[in-house]
Amino acid sequence: MKLVKKILTGLTLAATASLSLQAQTVTLDVLYCYPSFARFHEPLAAEYMKQNPNVKIQFRAPSASYDEGHQVILRSAVTNQLPDVYYAGFHLLGEMARTLEKRNQITDLSTFIKGEPTNFAASNFAPRMMSLSQVDGKQYGMAFNASSPIMYFNTELVRKAGGDPKNMPTNWNDLITLAGKINAQNKDNNGMSYDVHAWPDDWLFQGLIYQQGGKLVEPGTKKAGFNNEVGLNALKTARRFVTDGKMQLVDWDQSRQQFGAGRTGILFSTPAHLKIVTDMVGGKFEWGTARFPLDNKTQGGVPTGGNAVVMLAKDPAKQKAAWDFIKFVTSPEAQKIVVEMTGYLPTNQRALGADYLAPFYDKNPNFRTATTQIDKSLPWGGYPGGQSVRIWRAQRDVVAAVMRGEKTPEAALPELIKATEGLME
Amino acid sequence: MIKLNQANHQARNENILGWALALPATFLLVMLYLLPITWVILMSFTNYELGAISFDWVGLRNFSKAFEDEVFLRSFRNTLLYVALVLPSSIFLGLGIAVLIHARKRTRSIYEVIYFLPVTSTLIAMATVFQFLLHPKLGPINHLLTAIGIQAISFISDPQWVIPTLSMIGLWQLVGFNMILFLAGLSSIPEELYEAAALDGANGPIDRFIRITWPMLGPTTLFVMVTSCITAFKVFDTVATLTQGKSGSEVLLYALYLEGFQYFKMGYAAALTLVFLFFILILSNVQSRLIEKKVHYA
Amino acid sequence: MKINFSVTHVASHFVLIFGALFMLMPFIWMLSTAFKPPQEIFEASLWPFPKSFFGFQHFSEVLKSAPIGKYMLNGVIVCVGILFVQLLVAIPAAYALAKLNFAGREFLFICILAALSVPIQATSLPIYIAMSSGNLLNTYFGQMLPFFLSMFAIFLLRQNFKSFPDEIIHAARLDGMSELEIVWRVVTPSAIPAVTAFSIFSLVAHWNDLYWPLIVISSTELAPPPLGMLLFASAESGANYGALMAGATLITAPMVIAFLIARHRFIQGITMTSFR
Repeated sequence: MKLVKKILTGLTLAATASLSLQAQTVTLDVLYCYPSFARFHEPLAAEYMKQNPNVKIQFRAPSASYDEGHQVILRSAVTNQLPDVYYAGFHLLGEMARTLEKRNQITDLSTFIKGEPTNFAASNFAPRMMSLSQVDGKQYGMAFNASSPIMYFNTELVRKAGGDPKNMPTNWNDLITLAGKINAQNKDNNGMSYDVHAWPDDWLFQGLIYQQGGKLVEPGTKKAGFNNEVGLNALKTARRFVTDGKMQLVDWDQSRQQFGAGRTGILFSTPAHLKIVTDMVGGKFEWGTARFPLDNKTQGGVPTGGNAVVMLAKDPAKQKAAWDFIKFVTSPEAQKIVVEMTGYLPTNQRALGADYLAPFYDKNPNFRTATTQIDKSLPWGGYPGGQSVRIWRAQRDVVAAVMRGEKTPEAALPELIKATEGLME
Repeated sequence: MIKLNQANHQARNENILGWALALPATFLLVMLYLLPITWVILMSFTNYELGAISFDWVGLRNFSKAFEDEVFLRSFRNTLLYVALVLPSSIFLGLGIAVLIHARKRTRSIYEVIYFLPVTSTLIAMATVFQFLLHPKLGPINHLLTAIGIQAISFISDPQWVIPTLSMIGLWQLVGFNMILFLAGLSSIPEELYEAAALDGANGPIDRFIRITWPMLGPTTLFVMVTSCITAFKVFDTVATLTQGKSGSEVLLYALYLEGFQYFKMGYAAALTLVFLFFILILSNVQSRLIEKKVHYA
Repeated sequence: MKINFSVTHVASHFVLIFGALFMLMPFIWMLSTAFKPPQEIFEASLWPFPKSFFGFQHFSEVLKSAPIGKYMLNGVIVCVGILFVQLLVAIPAAYALAKLNFAGREFLFICILAALSVPIQATSLPIYIAMSSGNLLNTYFGQMLPFFLSMFAIFLLRQNFKSFPDEIIHAARLDGMSELEIVWRVVTPSAIPAVTAFSIFSLVAHWNDLYWPLIVISSTELAPPPLGMLLFASAESGANYGALMAGATLITAPMVIAFLIARHRFIQGITMTSFR
């Protein structure tokens, strides 16, 4: 504790000292995605500006999603109007970093990390967290928001179907069976929702691959890593969600609304929705969260969604301020604020300690679930060639067709592979 | 001789005058349409990607790629289906409602406002509303269907239903506008024509409609047809806010937007833009010629 | 005769009411959600009236967390600016096309009609790049620029002007008026209904524009209402539907009220633009 305080004061002092060398105000132009995140970005910025009076944090109009933000960045790169700091979705970080690197518009943060006290990186950030924002071996960002898919369940519906809310299934077969029983109790309710057919990115699809211990890409090649049993199983499982788990194919937003209305037994989604679901349910029924089932207990994992904060500023004064700001938002205090407001995983491991989030997790056990999966978290992969967005759209069509029963998993797998490999240049 | 000179002088004067008055419009036409379209034409022969430092000329490869692109072809089919659904229904209903409202006196104003309301709505606000209304479990429309014994339909997520659903929303937005145009057209038909027809033996509302109303509405109908057709062809907002192209709901402008602004394949997107412009220009050209003919004829 | 009248009368009322419900249903749900507490919103009940009145909280939530007033002000600035230039440009052009005989007139008119089919999506990228070099991005002017030329206005007004009596124009010319004076002082006043009609059309269309502002605006200060709405709603993590609908109500209201007020002029304007 004393050590923590020491380090903290040390950091703050160092930060303020270095900044007080500059006489004028430095303005940082910051862009993030998902406008409702203003609810933590704004207070964090306000707090930072209070501690650092000669830095002004100015937010651009937030982008509607990671994909939209990606577009804004690329457009701004062409017109030379990049923000100083940007929060990039993990799955697009690689593409963005490689494009900007060619134009010399992004900064490798390793130089800044080296300037910190020796223990800085190791004490604050787990190696898994650091690797999330590394591209081709370079540390282009620091993880700011992290999440892995979790299970939300309606406690009452589970009990009525004979399940034990304290021991939710840990493999998919059992889960689908339970969902089927929930629907058997009341035909009006859907047993489960796993909206891989409508998710804006391939996060849930990667979940189906990773939980079997599978790979997205054969390392070092341009071949899909799931052209095998893993891929086939993923498709079969997805189809079983509908046939046995009694899932109905709707848009993910509608799906969440339905869970909130008490008409779905089990919902798979991001922990970032925890606060929203809490508000939506509003005490209508009891509900809980549980870990993502893993069929492969040793090698199975979950994809880590979220974003990393990257530095795009080139002016030395701005870079100094930006690095300081980056350290601040990834500090345990800042992460505590973010987690309590959303349900995201803290990216700073010290935030899990008793000084920060432990009491909150005690009071809100639903929020704790994601943290129990940290040791199973894998990076949110992308495909070589820079066409990940398009690849997912093509894959999604195939997966949706399988779930609707229009194609058998066996027939669809070659199509899925073709859609994937055809677009990896 | 002097008269001829004067005539020439006047003609030249009118030339200068005409162009002077039309100058601002012409300038904007060039800057906002001709030049950008020229850029698009040039780009369509390259493989330019946004953010890239250089690009190459690839001739007609983008165009041949387009006609093998499943997404593009699907968006083409979808747009045609959308237009085929929205166009006749918005005209027929717009006219029908206008005729019914036109005959009213006391309730006319109320109906005008109610039917025009959708035209004023902000789509981004309505998107959530539609999501709920069309929800298979929570929405009133499916409640009605299940009450009659029909299985619930996933309007937005079922590929069979998504384009008709979007057409319904497009119709919802367009009917009020067409209704107003028809109302205006109806108001300008002189009463005397109806009286004369009554003397000639025209009986009942249907007869009057066929003999007087429909022919007199000719130019209005053509105008409505052209604008509705163009509006329908340009469908984009509903797809972008409601489905984001999921479940096979891409339309031409959305496919174009995906290529250019999501995948950053500017060269290819430019080629798709040209294909789009080609088709819509043919459509509007054909129809506008018809208008001119009809206008001169009447 | 009397019986005939009643039957068709009742039948047409029935059809109209049914249609009206179809038109109104989304608005009814929007309003009822704006007044319901969160638990009731997705209760899967068709009953539009809330059990507990939550409207105050939702509306104040919107007004507190989103600068709705600022968004609406931006909307007004941009829409009025666009309309102003549209009329400034279209009226002389429509007059020239309708009343003056000049070389290339038909060609110009055809170009203008053709431009009607070109959507902003097609030309947005080159315009965006050009604007950025002119430093016009993220400005009011930048939001307005692509819409300054309204082909619809030119078409509508040209039709209108065509039926304006030539004799009056000749007389004015003989009186020594310049052509410009004739355009603005003689012909335009007669077309006020048509101008009003077009104004409503333009204001409504641009109040609800989302695509172009999304591309060109990067700071919330300048956001017009739909963009403001988008910023307030959110895909991944904002789902206070009650407040969302309250915001939607606030944003839709001005256009509805404007239409209510100017309705007569609107219809008059289109009527007088004979399509014959």
